Amino acid sequence: MEGVRVVDFTWVRAGPWAARWLATLGAEVIKVEWPENMDMLRLNRFTVPPGVTPGPNSTGQFADTNAGKLGLSVNVRHPKGLAAIKSLIAVSDVVIENFSSRIMSRWGLGYDELRKLRPDVIYVSMAGFGQTGRQHYFGTMGPAAQALSGLTHLSGLPGKPPAGWGWSYLDDTGGMYGAMCALTALRHRNKTGQGQHVDLSQMITGITLTGSAFLDKTVNGRESRREGYPPGNRTVWPGAPVVNNYRGPIAAPHNAFRTLGGGYNDWCVIACLSDEEWTDLAGLMGESGWASDSKFATLDGRLRHQDEMDQGIEQWTITLGKYELADRCQAAGVRAMPVQSSEDRVENDPQLRHRGMFTKVKHPMLGDWKFQGAPFRLDGAKVAVKGPPPMIGEHTTKIMGDLLGFSRDELLQGYEDGVFWPETTPRFDYVQQAIDEEAKR
Amino acid sequence: MTAAGPGDDHGSDLAGPLAGLRVLELTGEHAQFCGKLMADLGADVIKIEPPGGQETREVGPFLDDEPGPERSLYFWHYNTSKRGVTLDITKPEGQEVFRKLAATAGLVLESFPAGYLPSLGLGYESLSASNPGLIMCSVTPFGQDGPWRDYRTSDLLHLAAGGQMASSGYDAEDVPDAPPIAPGGGNAWHIASHYAYIAIMGALYHLDFTGEGQYIDVSVHEACCLTTEGAIAIYLSTGEVVRRHTGRHASPDMSPGIQHATKDGGYINTTRSGSNLTPARVKVLAEWMDSHGLAQDLLDEKYQDPAVVEESGQHFADVLKNFFANMPLMEAYEGGQELNFPWGAVRTMSEIVGDPHLEDRDFFVPVEHPELGREFTYPGPAAIYNASPWRISRRAPLIGEHNDEVLGGELGLTKGELEALKKSGAI
Repeated sequence: MEGVRVVDFTWVRAGPWAARWLATLGAEVIKVEWPENMDMLRLNRFTVPPGVTPGPNSTGQFADTNAGKLGLSVNVRHPKGLAAIKSLIAVSDVVIENFSSRIMSRWGLGYDELRKLRPDVIYVSMAGFGQTGRQHYFGTMGPAAQALSGLTHLSGLPGKPPAGWGWSYLDDTGGMYGAMCALTALRHRNKTGQGQHVDLSQMITGITLTGSAFLDKTVNGRESRREGYPPGNRTVWPGAPVVNNYRGPIAAPHNAFRTLGGGYNDWCVIACLSDEEWTDLAGLMGESGWASDSKFATLDGRLRHQDEMDQGIEQWTITLGKYELADRCQAAGVRAMPVQSSEDRVENDPQLRHRGMFTKVKHPMLGDWKFQGAPFRLDGAKVAVKGPPPMIGEHTTKIMGDLLGFSRDELLQGYEDGVFWPETTPRFDYVQQAIDEEAKR
Repeated sequence: MTAAGPGDDHGSDLAGPLAGLRVLELTGEHAQFCGKLMADLGADVIKIEPPGGQETREVGPFLDDEPGPERSLYFWHYNTSKRGVTLDITKPEGQEVFRKLAATAGLVLESFPAGYLPSLGLGYESLSASNPGLIMCSVTPFGQDGPWRDYRTSDLLHLAAGGQMASSGYDAEDVPDAPPIAPGGGNAWHIASHYAYIAIMGALYHLDFTGEGQYIDVSVHEACCLTTEGAIAIYLSTGEVVRRHTGRHASPDMSPGIQHATKDGGYINTTRSGSNLTPARVKVLAEWMDSHGLAQDLLDEKYQDPAVVEESGQHFADVLKNFFANMPLMEAYEGGQELNFPWGAVRTMSEIVGDPHLEDRDFFVPVEHPELGREFTYPGPAAIYNASPWRISRRAPLIGEHNDEVLGGELGLTKGELEALKKSGAI
């Protein structure tokens, strides 16, 4: 994506994650911020490592979510700041934001304005409900969007409250869609010379991700609020009718089982998608035992005796560590994997280690920091982040001066006037240094 | 909007953003969603199934609950706007046809076990020799190498290994001894499909400027591992492993509950009622609650002190819990949103289908199934492209529906050649 310039107005997770992938693919992504209205992830107190001075440049979650971008601080509510941003947009390919609907228009940066600055601009807006439709002004965070889209209801045990998704799945995925929209529109522009506005809705993204639940309603009229649904980790809850399944093939066993140690994440999952796989699992557990009973020989039988079967399996799994168990099952052709915590994925997962999922990059506050790479290789080569995230306003003078041709005096005056840094916010050392260097030019 | 039928370009005359891109799709559950995303955006996606049809046609739910390869709603959902041909690529004559097709394609999307296509002489090197702009994207459980490469998986297994389950589940007071929970919907495959799509678009961008294709090796496992938001960053920053909470973010601490039951048996998700509140917002909330006689002490002056607000997260959660217990779901959700609280009702398709906001965005798409003489409503796009619209151009293909059109008409095989392929069982 070299040669593509992205003006990134996004904040929190979904939007920054979108632009992060554009940066990882090689685009020049300029994150536009204002210290008085800081990206909340810069304030995320859960991810400041011990011993690191807290502050907007010190959070691990912001770091990974914004890796490889440049940092511009500018006050778009100041006429001079707005003018500066407009001159940046005029030389950029993509503008991306995830504010509430129509905020950009209020700033004078709606699509019609952007198009005047750059006729073939690609504008990706990522509002919760989109920019159009009667409830466009409704706001969402990840969990609310998940609830509204039907995703939350898909997760849990029958007869209990929804368990939902234990993170903002639609921020991660919303970010994916933001990047997908920008890339798709770039492809279209390459072919036609034409830019466009792509009006993405985070909430609506989730609806299609419920799989066939939508068609089961519109075609078969089936309600999702029904006995035995959602079926926990199973494909069918014991006793519930075998009428459908949103997970893929109906299978049994299909569950999570405790493993040796009994710790919080000492679990593995096992799924047998055929009678042969069940026979192989029964063999592993000991031919002579309960599992060789013919009542378990067919899928119907295993579904009918699911509780008994699952209890029997757990008596075996509890005797083995989760990695050893998965290895033994896989060696016998049985589908099993450990439930992996964050710690497991960083420290214990041999596959991620082999593929080089994490790359250490020097970060000014966090030191050598592990950044997550791409889940794909291009022509066999690993794709890692292009660099650390920007400190807030780190590259303002470079972008304004080198890229946009602002003179030394214009820049210094901008800092005096509160255009490039708030008058009342103390300047970080690197901000002051950049100003001092500029003054010496 | 009029119904989409086979080959019918309903609605606008504008082409989709991926018009002109031909994709050969040889994938079932792993990446057929990636193919759908491209097909609905205008790519010419040709789904290549083994004679008799792909195994995903056996996955329910089924039309009127009667199983059958042309009745799987699962298959329908993931294969809109594609054309379908059958081809046995294990047979030499099938391989020959596949090579010819690949010479006309911009992208081959496949999810066979690592090394399978090269073993048939159909690997990237072979196919790109005469088509240097070809992009090939393999989506496999663990990628093309590594100790787990040949491990067999499923959606559930990926959600376990990828970390989704370690973050999803229940507080002990809601469900004691609950297992980690794998959310439904088949999302391991969706997650992988999104990343595959991004990699493919990056490769197309490169192609547009260099004329060079490339080989993309996507790992479902790595894609899932990237999709647990802050869990990894929290561990890297503090060494702490998140714990599962009912209906909200897993976190190292015990946060106040944000998902509350409503009077009519529903649930509402309130997105951290405490930590995002300011005194002014507490007042707005309290006045609304007071109009229902349910504000308790929230109108008290002490909540106009930000420090008190900051400390009162659990108390606000308790007051809200009682408020919602006395409010119907939709009134609570829409009332909150009108006051700028970004809350969400836990909806099912019963509330989603027919939602007027979605209707305003033309989300409900009628799709014709001419062989059944029926029309069904499909989910529409997440994003509206104002210059190159998303559309469902046809329902999922029947088995071998486009054999004659693609292999005969477009590839130029004669009637005799097609007949011979049929006889040998290659199509």
